[in-house]
Amino acid sequence: MRDKVLYGIAILAAALLARNLYLIFLQLPDEAAQGAIYRIIYFHVPSAITAMLGFMVAGAASGIYLGTKNLRYDAVAAAVTEVSLAFATVVLVTGSIWARIIWGVWWTWDARLTSMFVCWLLYAGYLMLRSAVEEPTQRAKFSAVLSLFAFTDVIIVWKSIEWWRNLHPGPVLSIRTGGGNMDPAMESMIYMNLLALVLFATVLVMVRMRQEEMRREISSLRQLALAQ
Amino acid sequence: MIEARNFAYMFYGFTAAWVILALYVVTIARRESKLKQELARLKNIVEDRERK
Amino acid sequence: MNFWRQTAVIAVKDLRAELRSKEAINASISFALVILLLFNFAFAEWADQVREVAGGLVWIVWAFAGVLILNRSFARELANDCLDALIAAPLPSSALFLGKALANFVLVVAIELVSLLVFGIFYNVRWTQQFWALMLVIGLTTWGLTVVGTMFSALTVNLRLRELMLPMLIYPIMIPALLGAMEITNALMAGKPLDGDLLTWLRLLIGFDVIFTALAVALIDTVLVG
Repeated sequence: MRDKVLYGIAILAAALLARNLYLIFLQLPDEAAQGAIYRIIYFHVPSAITAMLGFMVAGAASGIYLGTKNLRYDAVAAAVTEVSLAFATVVLVTGSIWARIIWGVWWTWDARLTSMFVCWLLYAGYLMLRSAVEEPTQRAKFSAVLSLFAFTDVIIVWKSIEWWRNLHPGPVLSIRTGGGNMDPAMESMIYMNLLALVLFATVLVMVRMRQEEMRREISSLRQLALAQ
Repeated sequence: MIEARNFAYMFYGFTAAWVILALYVVTIARRESKLKQELARLKNIVEDRERK
Repeated sequence: MNFWRQTAVIAVKDLRAELRSKEAINASISFALVILLLFNFAFAEWADQVREVAGGLVWIVWAFAGVLILNRSFARELANDCLDALIAAPLPSSALFLGKALANFVLVVAIELVSLLVFGIFYNVRWTQQFWALMLVIGLTTWGLTVVGTMFSALTVNLRLRELMLPMLIYPIMIPALLGAMEITNALMAGKPLDGDLLTWLRLLIGFDVIFTALAVALIDTVLVG
């Protein structure tokens, strides 16, 4: 049953992505000021939203785990964090490529890129911690605590770096067209691709969660095998 | 000229996005097969022991 | 025994233990001095401008040197199963945590003050112009660093790569606090008073401290006991 759901969502995601890509390349017009490169935003922005949504879900799952001690929530937190980290990487790399064309530099300490980088470091640390703890329950507890700290920090980080950028103005990666408002066709494409990426992310999370459960089964079997 | 470079970078960008996600999928797939192998191996050991 | 008394007992014990051997303090101060020396080589031709970024630099020194102290905090208890004994004792985990945090706070502030003296001399920075404001910022930021660091020290105490994991986990979390501290300290060292935009950063530091102290006290039991 679960496999069927998985395949269903995967096919939906693939179809949507294919449709979007077609539209992105062949039907939507070029943006006035930036030219062709702006189309990257159809991946850059939805990936960012997906990643941040993911981190929120992971934080919530960690909190619920600490409340219920049900290891399934730990699996959710781990899976979602890992997938979100992949999407955060996409954000940073596409942002960098965009900056290279628009600003001539590979990196800019724009408020959002900087904050995303901090989030990336926080959650990479989470995954590092998980790989360092062998016992599943302890791993779940420690990562949940770290996840709560990280999530609380994320909120403060975004606000403070934005404030810092207001004090020291610098280049800003803008997603707005010259006029300041987005063409409705473009805006709806961002949301369509967001949907596609979220579906894709869901598939990855479900697969990853199953792996967490396998890992736990292995852990207990190993104890059984060694004990006899 | 700028147009050409613009297009090139756009493709780099899309390629980068896809490559990153593809790499991640490959990592997941490899981990899946590793885990499945380990699981099968352990199950065999436990079953052997139980048979004895 | 009342909660605060228990906290004080732990704090005094930790301070006494550290002052007896001085291993962490020595390592930390030496490390701070070496970084200050290296800055000289890094900023050789820009010696004058260093004064303008002094606030930022000094927090880098303090953040790195401070983590050395924080690492020892729970690691010190591993020998002879002291940690297990402490956890098993009729002592709430939060008292154990706060006691250690207080001791760490005192040690890290001491290191900061000593290296501040040296920094002022080496780089000709007149940090006394806004003395009390500077002390306030040092206190607030160091408390944030201490609370987060002591918490993660407990988290990583039993891990193989403890020395690597602790910095990796602490610094990203500390970024907002360090950012605020650097902004304020830069201004204070240039002689500017604590007002205007700086007050917003100060509020950030206070908020950071309150939130993470509460979070740490709430979660320390899960980490230590389960």
